[in-house]
Amino acid sequence: MTLTRSEVEDVLFQEAEFLDSWQLMEWAEMYTEDSFYEVTSPACSDPYTADARNTLFLISDRIDRIRGRAKRLLKKTAHAEYPHSKTRHMVSNVRVVEADGDTTKVRANFAVFRTKEDNSTIYMGEAFITLLETPDGVKIQHKRCVLDINSLYNQGRLTIIL
Amino acid sequence: MALDGWQPTKLIDADAEAGSFRVHRDAYRSDEVFEREKALIFNKCWLYLGHQTELKKKGDFFARRVGGRDIIFNLDKNGKVGAHYNTCTHRASKICREHSGNARTFTCPYHGWVFNSEGQLSSQNAKTGYKEGINDDGHLNLKAVERLEEYRGFWFVNFNPKAISLYDYLDDGRDAIDALMDQTEAQQVILSGEHTYSINANYKLLCENSYDGYHLFPVHASYFDYLRDQMAGTPAADLIDATIADYSSNGAVRGLGNGHAILDSYVPTGRPVAQWLPSMGASVKPEIEAKYARLVERFGEERANYIATTQKNLVIFPNLVINDILSVTVRVIEPEAKDRIRVTAWAMGPTDESEELRAMRLDNFVSFLGPAGFGSPDDIEMLEICQTAAAHTPVEWSEISKGFGPAEDHCKVTGAPDDEVQMQAYWTMWDRVMSGEVTLEVE
Ligand code: FES
Ligand SMILES: [Fe+2]
Repeated sequence: MTLTRSEVEDVLFQEAEFLDSWQLMEWAEMYTEDSFYEVTSPACSDPYTADARNTLFLISDRIDRIRGRAKRLLKKTAHAEYPHSKTRHMVSNVRVVEADGDTTKVRANFAVFRTKEDNSTIYMGEAFITLLETPDGVKIQHKRCVLDINSLYNQGRLTIIL
Repeated sequence: MALDGWQPTKLIDADAEAGSFRVHRDAYRSDEVFEREKALIFNKCWLYLGHQTELKKKGDFFARRVGGRDIIFNLDKNGKVGAHYNTCTHRASKICREHSGNARTFTCPYHGWVFNSEGQLSSQNAKTGYKEGINDDGHLNLKAVERLEEYRGFWFVNFNPKAISLYDYLDDGRDAIDALMDQTEAQQVILSGEHTYSINANYKLLCENSYDGYHLFPVHASYFDYLRDQMAGTPAADLIDATIADYSSNGAVRGLGNGHAILDSYVPTGRPVAQWLPSMGASVKPEIEAKYARLVERFGEERANYIATTQKNLVIFPNLVINDILSVTVRVIEPEAKDRIRVTAWAMGPTDESEELRAMRLDNFVSFLGPAGFGSPDDIEMLEICQTAAAHTPVEWSEISKGFGPAEDHCKVTGAPDDEVQMQAYWTMWDRVMSGEVTLEVE
């Protein structure tokens, strides 16, 4: 069954809420066992079709590293995010682009604001998301974020989850 | 401290008998020192520009900033590598405004002068006004960088026409580069996708960090926790703690001459060339073991072991880092101010590895390295808090004494993996160049 835009938004807004409130283990639970969370490198010539198996990405996590990322970020020894930065995930322009059985493909624009110490930066771009309807509710099977930047020169690093 | 009254030896305070090696924090936090470094270090040392394998076809180019200077790095129509300043000889405009691409000619956007891929002026876009033969002496061609040389595909520039050769400059650093390039009989190539980011810290703090064995377990505790989780239930599960226990007695830090140095260590991450660990999965075992066997055939067991199993963190003075660890990264540090750097990093791998091993190499890279990995961002945080603390406290000296003692040449000493003799080698060279004791020029 095709998810409606507002059903899709419910999922994406829930994800944003988990991230902004640092409920990262709950965030990781939104991902399926066979899922991918990816952020392409800004230098990538074709970020839409690029494959992390032969091109260097910023992030290319399967479920074990999705969970590992969440777990690590909650530790005091994850120095880059200690003290935790404040984030605000804005998700907009949500479009359902394709549906096939339990699977719904979605595009959405995002802007994530991050404040660490006295500095605020923005990560902006477009997310390509595949949602899967499961007996446990709608889960994220694939999320690829393509940033609208040419480098991380202004942001410095990407230690939060987009 | 004014430049005129500069006392060059004041910033390093070394007493070998007392085992004390101190660096004055002005070396990281003073604008005057940074200005002096631009003139003395970055105008005299060989600086990394790019790798041969990035230039795949004739006409391929990259616009890069090296030592504060904008340079076009390209392969001309005759297949020759070039490095020209990215400025029009007419009235200064930037010639190339793209990050990379392929071009037969470069046309200046301002008045339309055209330069060919060798940098020669081919059109002034004007019917009248110029005397015939105005460029007979070639002064209107793009200005080539003073020196351009390569070692095993690593192209470097030097802005001093009298500089010693790159070959001599690299000194024993050549052996470390050989150990990387000899991993394959095919070609080591720069892989697509680069990481560019910035750090609010002095460039030398990142050099120090890049081969610092001492920081590994405190800073990267959360990465080792992650590795332990990954290996739980495999025969490799105990490897992490065994490694931590043995770390300082296995391997070495070694000064390689001219300020270059390397950390050779053993950390159980597995290496695509060529050390298989159970955490890598059984399917890649035959390929990795075959690579190892071939290295033994080519170089004998001792050298093969060094190439295949040692984790190597190399710093080529003053700002190139080559980490040959769980993946290979080539990382260049472009200083922009005393407290700001632009970092560009690439992954490298051999053309003769399977798709699966290539995927594992890149997966290893992003698991630890880069601005979104589980390791590098924590390093970056350390550098930034060192920089800000040095800038906002009156404490004058940093203590870089671990392993320091009498030696014939502190640029060529050896110590334990968690010693600081590699940094002492770096700073000794830095001091020699800054004081003029070493000119790096041919006599
Ligand atoms: S500045 Fe380039 S043509 Fe005038
Ligand atoms: Fe580190």
